[in-house]
Amino acid sequence: MVLDNELLEQAREAGIDLDLIDTNLALRVEERWRQHDGALRFILKLQEAKAADEAGLQPTNR
Amino acid sequence: MKPDFSQLIAKLTDSGFEFVMIGGYAAVTYGSSQVTRDLDICAVLTSENIELLRKTFAEWNPRHRMTPDRLSFLKFPKDGESLNNLYLETDVGVVDILSTVLGVGDFVRLKSTAEKFVVDGRVCWVISLPDLIAAKEAIGRGKDKLTAVELRIIAAKRKS
Repeated sequence: MVLDNELLEQAREAGIDLDLIDTNLALRVEERWRQHDGALRFILKLQEAKAADEAGLQPTNR
Repeated sequence: MKPDFSQLIAKLTDSGFEFVMIGGYAAVTYGSSQVTRDLDICAVLTSENIELLRKTFAEWNPRHRMTPDRLSFLKFPKDGESLNNLYLETDVGVVDILSTVLGVGDFVRLKSTAEKFVVDGRVCWVISLPDLIAAKEAIGRGKDKLTAVELRIIAAKRKS
């Protein structure tokens, strides 16, 4: 398959992983959704852990 | 909150609520690798539809995420009122329900070209790929432009 050169250039500049798109396209929609929701839960968990960690490390006035 | 958009979509579909999926999750449906924090859908928010949504989301503690006190969607708006947009947070994820999509149009316009996906035996209508690209480009934020480029690649791959 040949992609438009300008589009490919934009993708490269934006750091888009073309292989990852191919991987996603090979999945069924339900699998795309499942992977996405899992990734989002993981991100939120990391953010919660980071926030908890930062809260524990807050400097005090003492 | 433990996001599970698949569950939200299944519940919405089973309830008979008429909607078209838009936004980042629509992009994911088409194969985008972006991660979105909310499920965006387009629908007509008549008082009857709002009532149906209340029943559908009741078990997930739906609240208005744009209000300071996170007002309960089960109590507001009052019966008989219609709205243009709803920004909700539930126990299974954030759901934004919009009556129009920037750069494309309203629910009727979107539905006229929407693509039908059958997922786990349920029919789900998703904004067409060209409309989604137009919407992402119309928003114009960095991450939306990035998604638009990704979607244009997906569109090109689908044609080939």
